[in-house]
Amino acid sequence: MRIQTLLLLFCLVLPQLSSAAGPPKSQDSPQGVSSINPGADLWREVRQRDGEILEGISQVKSVDSGFLINARGDEWARFRITKLSSYGGIAIAAIFVIVTLLYVVRGKIPIEGGLSGRMVRRFTDYERIVHWTLAIVFLFLAITGLILLLGKSLLLPILGKEVFSLFASASKEGHNLFGPLFLVSLIMMFLSFARRNIYENGDLTWLLKGGGLIGKGHVSGGFFNMGEKTWYWMVILIGFVIAISGLILVSPFFGQGRWIMELSHVVHTIGALILMTVSVGHMYLGSIGSEGALEGMKSGYVDINWADAHHDRWGKVCHDENLIVSAEDYARLQGRKPGDTGELATEQGK
Amino acid sequence: MIEYLIDGPLWYFSLAVFCIGVLWQLASIVFAKGKTDLSVARGSAGRGAIRNVFSRFMPHREIAPQIRVQVVAGYMFHLGLFALLFFAAPHVLFLEEHLLGFGWTPMPHWAFIVASQFAFLGLIILWLRRMLNPVSRLISTLDDHVAAILTFIVMLTGCLALLEGFTALRLLHRFSVELLLIYFPFSCLMHTFTFIPSRAFTGAWFGRRGIDA
Amino acid sequence: MARMKFYCDAERCIECNACVTACKNENDIPWGVNRRRVVTIKDGEQGERSLSVACMHCSDAPCAAVCPVDCFYTTGDGIVLHDKDICIGCGYCFYACPFGAPQFPKDAAFASRGKMDKCTFCAGGPEEDNSSDEFKKYGRNRISEGKLPLCAEMCSTKALLAGDADVISDIYRKRIVNRGGSAFNWGVSSNIKG
Repeated sequence: MRIQTLLLLFCLVLPQLSSAAGPPKSQDSPQGVSSINPGADLWREVRQRDGEILEGISQVKSVDSGFLINARGDEWARFRITKLSSYGGIAIAAIFVIVTLLYVVRGKIPIEGGLSGRMVRRFTDYERIVHWTLAIVFLFLAITGLILLLGKSLLLPILGKEVFSLFASASKEGHNLFGPLFLVSLIMMFLSFARRNIYENGDLTWLLKGGGLIGKGHVSGGFFNMGEKTWYWMVILIGFVIAISGLILVSPFFGQGRWIMELSHVVHTIGALILMTVSVGHMYLGSIGSEGALEGMKSGYVDINWADAHHDRWGKVCHDENLIVSAEDYARLQGRKPGDTGELATEQGK
Repeated sequence: MIEYLIDGPLWYFSLAVFCIGVLWQLASIVFAKGKTDLSVARGSAGRGAIRNVFSRFMPHREIAPQIRVQVVAGYMFHLGLFALLFFAAPHVLFLEEHLLGFGWTPMPHWAFIVASQFAFLGLIILWLRRMLNPVSRLISTLDDHVAAILTFIVMLTGCLALLEGFTALRLLHRFSVELLLIYFPFSCLMHTFTFIPSRAFTGAWFGRRGIDA
Repeated sequence: MARMKFYCDAERCIECNACVTACKNENDIPWGVNRRRVVTIKDGEQGERSLSVACMHCSDAPCAAVCPVDCFYTTGDGIVLHDKDICIGCGYCFYACPFGAPQFPKDAAFASRGKMDKCTFCAGGPEEDNSSDEFKKYGRNRISEGKLPLCAEMCSTKALLAGDADVISDIYRKRIVNRGGSAFNWGVSSNIKG
């Protein structure tokens, strides 16, 4: 009787003893209860940034609505603010400084013997139209793009929020609309100039001699020299990358997730910054940096001395096939009175 | 204040200058005295006129290869502009509210964008050709350049105001339109209306002689 | 000053979407814009949990940092709001937000983004409190009336808590203590393992 009572008492007390000992710890629980918070494992998994991000579902169906947390978004935002904007701005400022220094130190690169006034046809009307269309569209996109990238730090403090948001909105709409025009112009440029930009023998020599930029000395070149060809392929290849990533960014209605938008944005901006910096060098060398260069893209004709100095292999062809136009004929072609050769011929070159 | 001027008196003024100016110019063409053709009629002038108005939409076979750029870019620009002007949703709404009192179904938004891109590219190519071809450059007058640039500014300001959320941008667009309307009757832009009597006259003159102009 | 926050108790959320509906209705939100959504992890499996997610009104908001026109501002209560008159609809805040809170109406221009819209903690916007302009642009302003956001008020299980961070964490702590030490006594979605 006493033993039975004791046993009964013991059975009653036992559960109280176990619960009084506190919540069962995960290591020493015999029944396999995993943790205090039944959701702990789940939330640990959700918080793992490096592991597979657990995607849920939502009754609200919109882009990425199943994602609970997109940690890459903050990474992208910090990258854009701290690295992309600042280094991009520095790069743009730097190229202008470099070009100015180049002009101050080296000046306008002259042609030996000066310009003769005797011209040879280099670019057709259509080729020049293609080049300048691409140039105008590119410049517009560059300026509007830079306003969007750097405006908050550079323009907003000057203009104030209301006025700056006007510029920013205008820039964004203009940039988005002209983007596809860039792609079309790029295709036109590719079709017009691809054949003459294929690398050939002599290009490596040109590169090793520094293209004649450093020091004096004659460097042989074809219709396009190696520097021009490299710039051309940069424009085409990087330009296509920019255009495609831009098209992805400008059409969010295909349900792209945020990671592809973030990636496209980074690729787009870096590509654009590269093209912008090198294009400043291109614009400099094509105009005030080199004597007789701009004429080719304006009228389509270049001085034969310029051709012999910079593109002698092509210049030789012009000599051999007698393609040279005299100064009087050139003046007539340009609609000027005979004898008025403009400012092209210099005393020495005639 | 500026908003009131641009949406009010300046709009009515520009509209008046445009309508009266265009009618005046057209009337001066239609009622102008011309030389009478005393030869015997060998064909029909009327039929020649109508035929020529439509046949000139395609260039003559002989010169077509030389003017490919102008034809392609020209059509891109004009068709894009026509679609934009009359079938873009904000314009249809504007015409309904401020001018006509009735509207019509506008284009879907993507078509609006595609049309504007055709128009921009066409205009840029056309103006560049005018600047780069030595003959065009020589015979171009200030009027030609101002007309092209003013049209471009109207299109650009429209594009910049696309979000339709900023009053200043909308006013800029409207103001540039009013400038264009005032400039229109005194410029080469009158070709919008004069191409019909011009082609008709040539067609009639040669049609009467039995020649297909 | 108060520091306003949301907290969603995942053990109580039953995915009824009352918070979503209340928000949409009260703020007159257009079709296609979703200020609040309920995300369910491991749907249909053991250990399913749901969370109601909207703008978390971060103290160091990535959306505010990345905005190219600086249209965001934080009120004295820690609520992150933005000015739709300045917003240009670029979408960067949507990319940067870890919770995907910024939303865009689909009826706008080529880039298919109009002005950004998001949860305002029912605190309206920069317009005058309770004006019709403010309601049209930003929705109801309950905070100025001394009330809390409607999503939390309408939550059927009081899973979604909204208010001062200290008060909320206090409420949640009391819940944890009351839930006790045994896994058997956990909320609605309890289970022996996980």
